[in-house]
Amino acid sequence: MRLLLTPAFVVLAVFGAALAALFRWSLLEFVPGSLQTGGLTLANFRAVLAGQYVDAVRDTVVLSALTTGLTLVLAYPVAYALARTPSRRARSALLVLTLAPFFTGAIVRTYAWVLVLGNTVVTWPVPMLFTERGVLVGLVHFSMPTMILILAAALSHIDPVYERAAASLGASPARVFRRVTLPLSMPGIVSGCLIVFAWTLSAFPTPELLGGGKVKMIANVVKDLGLDSFNWPGAAAFAMLALVLTLALLMGLGRLAGRQAA
Amino acid sequence: MRARFVAVIVASLLAVMAAAPAAWAQNSLVVSVWGGNWKDTVEKVVGRAFTAKTGMPVEFEVGGTIDRLAKARVAKGNPLVDLNFTTTHVARLYISDGLYEKLDMAKIPNAKEIAPEAIRSEFHLGTWAYVYTVVYRPDLIKEDITRWSDLWKPSLKGKIALPDFDPSHIITIAALMEGGNEMTWQKGEAKLKQLKESIAAFYSTDAQSQDLMKTGQAPVQVMLSVNAYHLQEQGIAVKVVQPADYPGIVGIDTLGIMAGTKKSDAAHQFINLALSREIQSELVKALRAGPVNLGAVVPANLKGQPGIFTTAAEWKSRGYIMNDDARGKTLPAWREWFTANIVKK
Repeated sequence: MRLLLTPAFVVLAVFGAALAALFRWSLLEFVPGSLQTGGLTLANFRAVLAGQYVDAVRDTVVLSALTTGLTLVLAYPVAYALARTPSRRARSALLVLTLAPFFTGAIVRTYAWVLVLGNTVVTWPVPMLFTERGVLVGLVHFSMPTMILILAAALSHIDPVYERAAASLGASPARVFRRVTLPLSMPGIVSGCLIVFAWTLSAFPTPELLGGGKVKMIANVVKDLGLDSFNWPGAAAFAMLALVLTLALLMGLGRLAGRQAA
Repeated sequence: MRARFVAVIVASLLAVMAAAPAAWAQNSLVVSVWGGNWKDTVEKVVGRAFTAKTGMPVEFEVGGTIDRLAKARVAKGNPLVDLNFTTTHVARLYISDGLYEKLDMAKIPNAKEIAPEAIRSEFHLGTWAYVYTVVYRPDLIKEDITRWSDLWKPSLKGKIALPDFDPSHIITIAALMEGGNEMTWQKGEAKLKQLKESIAAFYSTDAQSQDLMKTGQAPVQVMLSVNAYHLQEQGIAVKVVQPADYPGIVGIDTLGIMAGTKKSDAAHQFINLALSREIQSELVKALRAGPVNLGAVVPANLKGQPGIFTTAAEWKSRGYIMNDDARGKTLPAWREWFTANIVKK
């Protein structure tokens, strides 16, 4: 049995070593204009607690929460149709449409949004490109396929007999959905929301391209510090802080969702 | 018996195939450079001429500025490449980390013909130059832009894009406008803050910059002259401004030899060839960048254009060269200030 676990331990060791290296970098003194680092210091952590970096963390959490909520609302009807449509042809068509974005790649999809949001295809009443609104649209679009698939899997596991029983006892379709379908699909909702929230926290190309440098999320700040300012210790410190925050948020959300689902 | 024979043959072939790239790399000069047009041009113009002259093949490792720096750092002492192209201030990082070997100028006689500004240090030499200057689309901007100070016109509100990976150009210009320079950059802080409302976007890559110009999202930019000429070639009517008030900010791409290379002589030969009049003349045509060899032939349509310097006097008068050391050391502070005061909403 222990032998079978060896590959898992090897993978864990590699990941652990990478994290340890990152942590070590975060404690080294940054010397501007040089790749050499100084001695051990906590200054990098103090530096990345400056207003602009904290703002980027706040913006990331807000955008991630909004993305998760909007994605859930938009994905649920599609997932419901995917799980309940009797026509196999319609289901296949929906599945293809859902999966299509996966095959285009994040960069291509985001560039397409640059054109759409930039008033070249349609004229928007409010500025969309290079704003949080535009980034939100891109993030929701990016997250939709995953949310739809997770929700559709959860919905397909709900036996329609329960819904029919509620309807036969006089419940309106809205009441059936609210009292039967929605609670029974809660495990899928929780999983989908956690996954979308977690990966939106580390989003990079969408805010990079649709934010026009004005919308900075955590990954963009790490890139700015490490690759543009050559401040690798600072980038490592910010990445470590972001990692701790992300883990804490996800654990908190997981517990909350678990309690509600129970 | 027959099966065993076939297996031996297959194994031998696989071994030869596996060893071939290593053997090839051992016999060739490996040059690290940016991808796309940069690599294609260096390969076509310098690489082929070098192979024709010495018989030694040239291989390329391509990547972004920082990817290649990170790789070089990991391979310190036993470099994977022999020569490296990078911008002059990033070269300072290579030098400070002991990644470059000192050049033997006796082996680079063509260096005597290059502009003094291109001799960046005893470790790295400029190979071509360009400027960051004001570029705009006259079809979308109906007024003439002739000076840096025009960027501050209220009519350009929401139309400008700036590089955010390196704000040193606009910071230096703002400081120059207020009687300072890159060393006393704080003098331009207030001036730069006035520009904030005019900025439509910040770009992180050359490709983003060109896309913003093509789509008209940001029809006025502080842009790399080489990229502007590239857009013109693609049929996008952009105007590259030779600012009347302050010169464009000069960028110089450089070559250095990796410390620990076993092909130092060949690397010196490569640099010498890259700096020759003939190769410099070809590079100007291919890259639309300024030659560093003052004897290079520049096509008539490029003479006098921003970023193309053909005489020692032009190097001095038509471009502003920042102090590499100050730029390398201050860049993190500039970026921090720029993000907090200009990028932040």
